[in-house]
Amino acid sequence: MTQTIAGSNGVPGAAVNPLRAGVASSRITEPCNVVFFGASGDLVKRMLMPAMYNLRLEDILPANYGIIGFSRIEWKSPEFREEMRKSIDEFSRSGPAKDPLWSDFAKRLSFVPGAFDDKDCFKELKKQLEQNDKELGTGGNVLYYLSTPPSLFGKIIDMLEECGLGPKTQKRGWSRIIIEKPFGTDLDSARALQAEVSKVFDERAVYRIDHYLGKEPVQDIMALRFANVIFEPLWDRRYVESVQITAAETVGVEERGGYYDNAGALRDMIQNHVVNLLALVAMEPPVSPTADNIRDEKFKVLSALRPMDRSRIMLDTARGQYDAGSIGGKPVPGYRDEPNVNPLSNTETYAAVKLYIDNWRWAGVPFFLRSGKRLQRKNSEIAIRFKSIPHRLFGEAGDSIDNNVLVMKIQPEEGVSLRFSAKVPGPKMHIRAVSMDFNYGTGFGVVSAPAYERLIGDAMRGDATLFTRWDAVERAWEQVMPILETWQNTPDETFPNYSAGSQGPASSDRMLAADGAEWRKI
Amino acid sequence: MMPPAFPSADIAQIRNELAREKSHITTMNFIVWIDREENRGWVIQRAIKISEKHPSRTIILDASPGRIGASVRPLDPNDPTRQSTFIDIGVADIPPQEACEIATSLEADVPTVLCWSAESLGEDTAFRCFFAGGNLPVAVVDSSLGVRDATTILELAQFYQEHSNVSLRDLAWMRLHLWQDIVAHFFDDPALREELFSIRMVRIVAGSDAEALYLGGWLASRLGWTAIARDQFADRNGNPVAFEHERGGQARRIYSVALTTATSIYQASVDEGDASVVRVWAEGANARDVRLVPVQAIDTASLVERAALEDTGTDEIFETALRMVQTLIDG
Repeated sequence: MTQTIAGSNGVPGAAVNPLRAGVASSRITEPCNVVFFGASGDLVKRMLMPAMYNLRLEDILPANYGIIGFSRIEWKSPEFREEMRKSIDEFSRSGPAKDPLWSDFAKRLSFVPGAFDDKDCFKELKKQLEQNDKELGTGGNVLYYLSTPPSLFGKIIDMLEECGLGPKTQKRGWSRIIIEKPFGTDLDSARALQAEVSKVFDERAVYRIDHYLGKEPVQDIMALRFANVIFEPLWDRRYVESVQITAAETVGVEERGGYYDNAGALRDMIQNHVVNLLALVAMEPPVSPTADNIRDEKFKVLSALRPMDRSRIMLDTARGQYDAGSIGGKPVPGYRDEPNVNPLSNTETYAAVKLYIDNWRWAGVPFFLRSGKRLQRKNSEIAIRFKSIPHRLFGEAGDSIDNNVLVMKIQPEEGVSLRFSAKVPGPKMHIRAVSMDFNYGTGFGVVSAPAYERLIGDAMRGDATLFTRWDAVERAWEQVMPILETWQNTPDETFPNYSAGSQGPASSDRMLAADGAEWRKI
Repeated sequence: MMPPAFPSADIAQIRNELAREKSHITTMNFIVWIDREENRGWVIQRAIKISEKHPSRTIILDASPGRIGASVRPLDPNDPTRQSTFIDIGVADIPPQEACEIATSLEADVPTVLCWSAESLGEDTAFRCFFAGGNLPVAVVDSSLGVRDATTILELAQFYQEHSNVSLRDLAWMRLHLWQDIVAHFFDDPALREELFSIRMVRIVAGSDAEALYLGGWLASRLGWTAIARDQFADRNGNPVAFEHERGGQARRIYSVALTTATSIYQASVDEGDASVVRVWAEGANARDVRLVPVQAIDTASLVERAALEDTGTDEIFETALRMVQTLIDG
């Protein structure tokens, strides 16, 4: 007999758990396995396994879960556990792994060694998944995480389907797949990869990860815009003069020289992270905060990006490559002297692009995007520069009245600041710019969880809001392809053209100067 | 300890100081009431911890015997990131109404939070003074502070009956979240939902009565039970549900919960060897293996912080649980 609870919510007892009212569980309730392809790699060690362990510590993982590592390395499960414990001890934000939770976590870790094109190895994986279903109660649900070089994505997906591990051939449960960026190396390769992915996985099961989107301040862009009434009325061409989006790093290519030399800043940062930020800043309010509605709005705004005019690409873009210099007082080598980088490389380590969004809201407002390595300071931010006041009432002849600027700080600082003009105390009407700052750390006293924890948890839950949909990826590639092709066909003879530790190349400043603008200091 | 800047608590002088020391950003007015000297040290430490994280006006109102004088200062004049203003006032020799009046000199555009650190609660004249005017603060209390029995929770229930518009946050209730989640999780599986309707006994072991009573009251109110006698409920079909609670484990902490249904016993208990883990399992027809649930070590300062940052509205689930507790104790 189905009983009815006549509590405050009066909901049928069998349909919902009446004890859940007001007791939201952060726990993912569906059991599942997580399979990491490329499990011996750096990303798994530094980020993904510590993230899984912290999800366990926060009691966010489901009651029944298993974690399987898959990699070419000849480990057995006990070695995998040992290696993962070392990684957690070294990289977890919660400190070294501790019993009894570590033991409980470790017994759910297993490892399948093998090549990514070896059917027998995938059959072993299948056996392990079945064993987990039986012993850990994981219910046939699997989240695959492709943490391998992109060249292997297609092969792995094919093997999953061939071996009965994909959503179309598995006997029960669901399959989802997380694909690390970059999704393709250009428009054609992205489309080819998408064709392979979509043969096996429905778009709703594909989670293209861009860890930038998991950062708390990025998520707060929507809150700032759509949970406040004071900003949105000013958020258009009538009041905004320009928008600057910066993703500046002090690090060089580190151990990624081989990959980076074939990618460059435009592919590595602008096409994904920075364009995603642009979409969040410029999109219309979604009907509701669901994955589909938000991603629909992001796609619409990307669709409105004005296609690059090939004849103006050299004027509307800038590129750079770092030379030797110093960061924080320490000398650092030039890009061409980095390990695994071609000594004659023409790959850009800095890219700047001017874009326009041809829609009602943003017509005529330039969006300046830039990203670079080995710059003076690590700084990711979005700066909305408002127009000048229409008529000047105050100030002495020598006074300048600065435009209002709203800055959304993403990293390393997380917060919002607003620059506005104020009168300097005294008998005269001197006007000066002052800044009003809000910092998440001091404002809420809460340290944000790392982006990977948030994103893996979301994928396990089936929430795709913070992942990039194929149509947006394709549109972003379409936008940058003319730039990539032009740059490829016209090597920059001035490379290296900026010193490590500087603000970037002079050509980037010239690009803005043509619009009477200048970059904010990094 | 801060030296008193004023020989006596001159309200006008304090107001002048407040105007002079206006902080850059204020996220709340944070009033802390103390009534005994032995609590002063740790209560102030907690208040400082919160003020360091949240730019605020923190006012310590200390009614401990002999405590007079006042001081106003920035929390840390050498650190511009610590923007809180810290006001320490001895109110032993002034009427409670006057002490409450301090609240009217605060920043009006941000919430005011009263953190009550006295053991007596609903019957305390000063406590009631804060809720006599129009601008009601959010009240943060702890009904298992210092006492292990049900005295304070009863006072609180009585107070709440008369002041149902007050935003009340009881730390004893807030400490239950993990346990509510554990109990709810037993029945998240739709196949086990019907088990909720055959619970015949609830047994809770806790270090203080308030937490045990709240957990029992919450369960009863969510399942539509009625209290028919002291420690006795009846479910919606009139079947008796025994409620047993006894002291055990650390003060202000639940130690174990067992729900007995017609077919199974659902149990959760703090691990013997590691108090940071709860072992959760079921026996009987719906037996389940032991699952380990980590206990997030939330200290009192963090709970107060959470209470202060939460929505300032009323909490209907808390209210119904509190009413149920009152009925249960009154029998």
